[in-house]
Amino acid sequence: MGDRNEAPVTAMPNPLQLALARMGLPTADFAGMTGALGVTPKETIHAQGTLKLHHFTPVVDDVYRVPVLIVTSLVNQPYILDLVPQQSMVGHLLAQGFDVYMIEWGRPRQAHKDLTLEDHVLDRLPACVARVLEHSGQKELSIIGYCVGGLLAVLWAALHAGPRCPLKNLVCMATPVDSDGLESLKAWMGPDFDEEALLARHGNVPGDWVQNALRALRPFGKAAGAMNLLNQMDKDEVVTSNLRMGKWETDNLPFPGGVFRQMVRDFLRGNRLVKGDWVVGGRRVDLGAIDVPFLHLLAQDDHITPYASSHPLLGLVGSRDKHELIIRGGHVGLVAGRGAQTRMWPALEAWLAPRSV
Amino acid sequence: MSEIDWNRMNPVAMWRDWFVKSEAQWSEYVSSLLKNDQTGGAFGRQLGELQMMHRQFGEMAQAALAAANLPSRSDLEALDERLGRVEDGLAQVAAGLSRLRESLVALEAVKPTAPTRRRRAPARPAASGSKG
Repeated sequence: MGDRNEAPVTAMPNPLQLALARMGLPTADFAGMTGALGVTPKETIHAQGTLKLHHFTPVVDDVYRVPVLIVTSLVNQPYILDLVPQQSMVGHLLAQGFDVYMIEWGRPRQAHKDLTLEDHVLDRLPACVARVLEHSGQKELSIIGYCVGGLLAVLWAALHAGPRCPLKNLVCMATPVDSDGLESLKAWMGPDFDEEALLARHGNVPGDWVQNALRALRPFGKAAGAMNLLNQMDKDEVVTSNLRMGKWETDNLPFPGGVFRQMVRDFLRGNRLVKGDWVVGGRRVDLGAIDVPFLHLLAQDDHITPYASSHPLLGLVGSRDKHELIIRGGHVGLVAGRGAQTRMWPALEAWLAPRSV
Repeated sequence: MSEIDWNRMNPVAMWRDWFVKSEAQWSEYVSSLLKNDQTGGAFGRQLGELQMMHRQFGEMAQAALAAANLPSRSDLEALDERLGRVEDGLAQVAAGLSRLRESLVALEAVKPTAPTRRRRAPARPAASGSKG
């Protein structure tokens, strides 16, 4: 029997934490090693359903005239663009003097299973654009779209193109437009894939299904990541960065059912965007109608949005001022990795700054 | 004499290094095997069976959890739904407060905090080439 004055054991010792302590890693809380993510100060200025439109607090006294609206993916948390202060595309843009807004689509629930592309591109996104213009007091804005967010951005831009369109500049990062370049997904969700049965059962496509589909695109990637991490367990910074990315990677959002249906039928199987016969909200999407300055950012080793699925966008938009930059790295590294900090962010800033005055 | 990096001499670490360097090729190879219509058909059929098993398991688990007076998946989903509605409501309140503040600024009841918008882009040398 132990000393009666000893404090009672309130929890079993965590063997993983004991192992970390033996390695000399400073924190006792494994989950706490990541720290809080997505903490750049911001204010919610518009809300619609699960959608929140955030305005990030400027960090300089004088900003570029044209505000920037970031359109994030539907199936991933947006804090990948604002991971931690020293690894934040949002933070970089703020420090360089941009006035930054961001759409957080939110986690769809059963009540949102019938949301369609029309709801996003003809209702929610236009409402966010209007709110950004109202809040900033400007008549035009730049849009930066990442992954599926970029696809939503080009759909909106094409359907609202014209002299009264408030879009001044368009930036797309790792944006898929040509489903012939998404060979694996196209094969897996071909004619034998019963999306209606999936949606009838779940309403929205569950987040872990989305995660497993993305992981299957690189079958040994997760194992290699674990091996690489084990080889660098003595480097605190590497472990912490890996945990942060890992937390985001497992934090997938459900895919709204109505949007998923349209993406499978019209985008993946029909490849209608490239063919030029995709009808959204009764209107044909013509990417050639986009004529604003356009920057296309791609990752050299992107296995989620391969080059063949993204590159055609450059030729499809009607802009005269258009550029493509290929950055070394993968889909996520393009926006949040070390390569992003040293290459992509400066390139984005160099292109966008003179076009934002 | 330079210090020996014993960590690099670790055969297990060397094996892990080799795995990491080879992974891209293996993944590429397996992906090439998987991206064909036969695989798609097989996935589609398996998905249907998986769904059926998932539904049956869910029904069994629901009954067992109810008998043990424990919350089931659908109970947690209902809770998630309620919490989501609460979060949506809070976001609406936050957005409303933002608009209220703008109105007060417009009425000059509150000092504006917006930055000026006169920033100029720094002069840069002309870029050449399109690859980053």
